[in-house]
Amino acid sequence: MLWGILALLSVSAIAMLLLPMLRHDAAGTDRQAGAVAVLADQLHEVDRDADRGLISNDEAEAAKIEIKRRLLKLNRGASAKGRSVMGGRAALWISALVVPLFAGLLYAQLGSPGVPTVPFADRQDERAEQAQITELTGRLLERLENDPEGGPTEGWMLLGQTYMRMGRYSAAAAAMGNVIERDDTVSAMVSQYAEALIAADDGIVTPQARNAIRRALEMDSTNPAASYYEAIALDQAGDSEEAHDLLVSRLEQAAGPAPWMEIFIAQANRIAETIGREPVSLAAFAPMIRGAPGPTRDDVEAASELSEADRAAFIRSMVDRLANRLAEDSDDLDGWLRLGNAYGVLGEIEKAREAYEAANELAADLPSDDPRKQSIREALSELGG
Amino acid sequence: MIPEIGHFALALALCIALVQSVLPMLGAARGNALWMRSARSSAIAQLVFIGIAFAALMHAFVVSDFTVANVVENSHSLKPMLFKVAGTWGSHEGSLLLWVLILAAFGAGVALFGSNIPDALKARTLSVQAWISTGFLSFLLLTSNPFERVFPPPQDGNDLNPLLQDVGLAMHPPLLYFGYVGFSIVFSFAVAALIEGRVDAAWARWVRPWTLAAWMSLTAGIALGSWWAYYELGWGGWWFWDPVENVSFMPWLLGTALLHSAIVTEKRDAFKSWTILLAILTFSLSLLGTFIVRSGLLTSVHAFAVDPERGLYILGLLGVSIGGSLTLYAWRAPAMEGGGLFAPVSREAGLLINNLLLATATGTVLFGTLYPLFMEALSGDKVSVGPPFFNATFVPTMLPLVVMMGIGPFLSWKRADLKGVFQRLRFVAVLAGLAGLATWYVARGGPVLAYLSVAIAVWLLVATLREWAVRIRLFDVPMAETIRRARNLPRAAHGMTLAHAGLAIAMFGFVGSSAWKSEEIVFVQPGFVIEIAGFDVRFDGVERVGGPNYMADRGTLAVSREGEFVTTLYPERRSYPVAQSTTTESAIRSTLAGDLYASLAEPASETAADQGAWTLRILYEPLVNFIWIGAVMLVLGGGLSLSDRRLRVGAPRRASRSEPVATPAE
Repeated sequence: MLWGILALLSVSAIAMLLLPMLRHDAAGTDRQAGAVAVLADQLHEVDRDADRGLISNDEAEAAKIEIKRRLLKLNRGASAKGRSVMGGRAALWISALVVPLFAGLLYAQLGSPGVPTVPFADRQDERAEQAQITELTGRLLERLENDPEGGPTEGWMLLGQTYMRMGRYSAAAAAMGNVIERDDTVSAMVSQYAEALIAADDGIVTPQARNAIRRALEMDSTNPAASYYEAIALDQAGDSEEAHDLLVSRLEQAAGPAPWMEIFIAQANRIAETIGREPVSLAAFAPMIRGAPGPTRDDVEAASELSEADRAAFIRSMVDRLANRLAEDSDDLDGWLRLGNAYGVLGEIEKAREAYEAANELAADLPSDDPRKQSIREALSELGG
Repeated sequence: MIPEIGHFALALALCIALVQSVLPMLGAARGNALWMRSARSSAIAQLVFIGIAFAALMHAFVVSDFTVANVVENSHSLKPMLFKVAGTWGSHEGSLLLWVLILAAFGAGVALFGSNIPDALKARTLSVQAWISTGFLSFLLLTSNPFERVFPPPQDGNDLNPLLQDVGLAMHPPLLYFGYVGFSIVFSFAVAALIEGRVDAAWARWVRPWTLAAWMSLTAGIALGSWWAYYELGWGGWWFWDPVENVSFMPWLLGTALLHSAIVTEKRDAFKSWTILLAILTFSLSLLGTFIVRSGLLTSVHAFAVDPERGLYILGLLGVSIGGSLTLYAWRAPAMEGGGLFAPVSREAGLLINNLLLATATGTVLFGTLYPLFMEALSGDKVSVGPPFFNATFVPTMLPLVVMMGIGPFLSWKRADLKGVFQRLRFVAVLAGLAGLATWYVARGGPVLAYLSVAIAVWLLVATLREWAVRIRLFDVPMAETIRRARNLPRAAHGMTLAHAGLAIAMFGFVGSSAWKSEEIVFVQPGFVIEIAGFDVRFDGVERVGGPNYMADRGTLAVSREGEFVTTLYPERRSYPVAQSTTTESAIRSTLAGDLYASLAEPASETAADQGAWTLRILYEPLVNFIWIGAVMLVLGGGLSLSDRRLRVGAPRRASRSEPVATPAE
């Protein structure tokens, strides 16, 4: 349909550009004739004004003499220009055909033909769903507010995270702010709170957010989110070098690949560009990624076309495939690490621990400074194993 | 899908503009009629495709299609329909699309209605016009694409700046752009004439309707913008010498000079080179205005340096078009033969002085506008050049100009009898002096400049009316003869009278509302009465009301004079939750004598608001409405002149009533 209409536009453009060829007479308005006509008209005007008594006869005479003089000059200056030619049809044809071609090339570069038109009125279902979420969060908020004990910390954090996903950053910061001073908060909560504060201020790290970042780092100096926002704060304060150092050193400390590394690298490179440092790449910090049989290109493409629910199922199937493979070939240390990480993401703590324990056995032979050993230790301690 | 159609149409328009830039120009050089004629169809095709693009964008705004990034950023589903439509040109991208649409409209206008214009001149003009559209269409597509998409679409839009949600402002950019961009065609005519190497009376006449049309819409646009600032911003001023205002005012000043200089070229074959230069400079100032407003230079020089892509692109366009056209001018203009001679005292000389004064005034405004930008760029310091500078420089330039305006129309072409003119104007001068004194007697306060200005405005008004009366010999001859003469007088002459009188009327407004304004800013509680300019204004408290996409605190003010009830005013303070901002809606009681203007500022304090205490701003602005009346007269005057049949000359058979050519007015 779209392509049909674009083709129609192209054809009409061609037709319009070829239109001049339809008229065969070469007679147009000539400059000389036009100027003479204007002067002749001026003469008529003078006559009419004199007739009506708007100007005196003397004045009319003087004016007419001037105009006639100009007319004479015009005629004297007239060159014997030949009739204009009508050739050059080829140029017209070429330009008419080149126009849609070039427009097509330009559009191919800039356009997004796959994106549909989605009028607001057609998005009732989406809004209904959204309204439901809003209602649920409203109820949660009400319950938390009415709780005589102030509501459980997890409840407030869940509410804050939901607000974050809805883009209501100030509300998120307010919800998290209710519990952030409590004793049972952990570093990750404080850094989430900092994130909400920063998002609410359009990415500016306010002093309040900076305090939260510091607290999160005090509670756990390895909290990646807190380190990341600390770097952002430093960069915004003008200490770009320091910010870059922080990001890179944190990357260096990392034990094995972790999901947060990519945004660290992106941010480090963004800063590097402004302060004239060399860009860094993920491979430098996570050597294990190399050579690991990851998902194929087809898998990624398939995943990107799936809906949220389908995607979860797809990830599940990927994980199951990996688990099956490892059941047959249990000597793949990196494979076990990825499986452990995947189960961790999916929230299956027990299975994650099993995977890491299998990895731990394989890692026993490794030298003690291998980063994988450390990451296994960290993972197991987090999983309580 | 519809936004993609618009996107493709825009790409087509760019390619058509490229063809139009080359083919007709070559045709005119080689005398190829077919190539020259191609300008006509390609100019129309450009308009059609840009029109399709504009309609597609407008459709996206009307149905709130949030897959279009521009709609997300500048609209909201809850916005009233009128402002959804206006949102189309509310953003940077949309306003540039409107810009090129109007550019194409003027090109197509010449293609369609310029049948009397010689083929070669028309072909060259349309080619030059296409150069400009090529520049701006590529700018639009490459750096400011209005058809960028987002998918999946966000929940809802981010609203338009609520300050901009106003009918006056919705109409403001289209009108202003119409004037701004309208001067492009005059520029194209001038460049074409330079390439052709010929400027004569006929050229001036072909160009005049386009100059007039552009001038009228720019006048209307500026007046509308100032009207909007007056009742929306809540400050009670109608002109702030703000850079955004100045950049629209400069083309107006120079365009006014151009309008008058072109008359001399048309009627006397003189001022040719000057007219061409004015045409080039007027549009250059329009481009400069576009650059200053669109590059982000105004918000801060720093912001421009951080994201310079757009700014540099326009700067490049600006350099090429202004530099190129001026180079061409320097090269070709000296070859143009001079026209009719004139004595130092003559209509020509009068118009020359008027031109020089207008050019000086433009230079003054230009300096005041650019100086802070240069200073900030060079030293990093923010300086602001405010009203005191402009009042001290611009006003003194304009007053002699207005005095000249009274005399000019009495002068005859070529050489004039100054003594005779003074004899006629003696009585006007006495009247003006008396008016100044009478004002002083009544007002007893305010600066001397104000009385002088009143006297000069009266001078202009009476002199203009007298000139008109002399022409139709009012009271000199029987009424029937006068009426016959008035009917016979060309519409352009009536237009001049109306426009000049309009300026005089507007001057009363300028002076009255600046020199004799009363202002009270008070902290009030319900029941409090403020006395201002003879009115008693009683504050009756504030209540909360809801609007379509805002919440408002609405104050109630009972106005009475000498114990008699006059009116009730409801100033509002609106807050827009989605855009997270507040605006003031002033309440105005408008009469010809002056406006009583009330706006509600912040609650005096958080706690005070609970007790209903607010800060209130009350102003009385005498004669302020004369400004808009005068502006309407200026536009109508231009319209009368535009409707003059003589403008369609070139088809000489058509009978036309006309003004004396190369003769004194009487």
